[in-house]
Amino acid sequence: MAGITTHVLDNETGNPGAGMKIDFSVMEDGEFRHVKTVHTNAEGRTDGMILQPEETKIGEYELLFHVDEYYRAKGVDLPDPPFIEKVPVRFSVFDTEQHYHVPMLCTPWTCTTYRGS
Amino acid sequence: MEKPDINRRSVLKGIGVGATGLAVLQAASGQEPLASRAHAAEHASGGKLTLHAIDTYYGQTRAGLQIDLSMQDEEGTYKLVKTVETVERGRTEAPLLEPGELNNGRFELLLHFDDYYQRLEAPLPTPPFLAKVPIRFGVFDAAENFHVPILFNPWNYSYYRGS
Repeated sequence: MAGITTHVLDNETGNPGAGMKIDFSVMEDGEFRHVKTVHTNAEGRTDGMILQPEETKIGEYELLFHVDEYYRAKGVDLPDPPFIEKVPVRFSVFDTEQHYHVPMLCTPWTCTTYRGS
Repeated sequence: MEKPDINRRSVLKGIGVGATGLAVLQAASGQEPLASRAHAAEHASGGKLTLHAIDTYYGQTRAGLQIDLSMQDEEGTYKLVKTVETVERGRTEAPLLEPGELNNGRFELLLHFDDYYQRLEAPLPTPPFLAKVPIRFGVFDAAENFHVPILFNPWNYSYYRGS
């Protein structure tokens, strides 16, 4: 499977990060163009792929994770401004035959991303 | 995407804490700094901003990772404050912002992983999975130290509030 997918894991509680807002953008002519906004489901994944294999091109992409809103909705008392707020993850697709799974592991004080599978 | 009212509020709060950070911004934009030396001294007991970039691919960070420090202005745009390079083992020669220079607000560290690994001739695809990576974080109490460790390799990175 090719294309782009993500998965949010809440490392504060050890649960999937459900209901997190994610903005997906594509680099075009030196600027990121917003493509769509999605929310994670109960498993911390998105209902559909972020980008289908046939739509995926070589180039740079951005996933913007709204970590602050996620924790505020859970009643977590964040400082102003929060240490971790809206987290942009920028990555490149270099081979459209490959799958790019880009998870976000977060707490209000740390975040991690990687190329998963 | 950012809420302008929040930005404005935190910028005003920043001015309340100390104008030296603004001076740094103005210095970067070529304007005359507002803050006097006396003002800087008054806040010398404030926090500083430091980082530690740890290369988990080579196991030890080589010198010369370029990092651009920016701070968000009241319009929500990240404005360049300074560009630094890491020295051997991944720290910077001096704190990114010294006590008195740090203000509350939103910051970005742009790490040039692409140039760094290219120079070290790491076997990576073109374009590399991670090229120029923004690390964003908020400073909510400039009286405290903010230490931001970043663990990275060509396929993954992680950062947190260190101590």
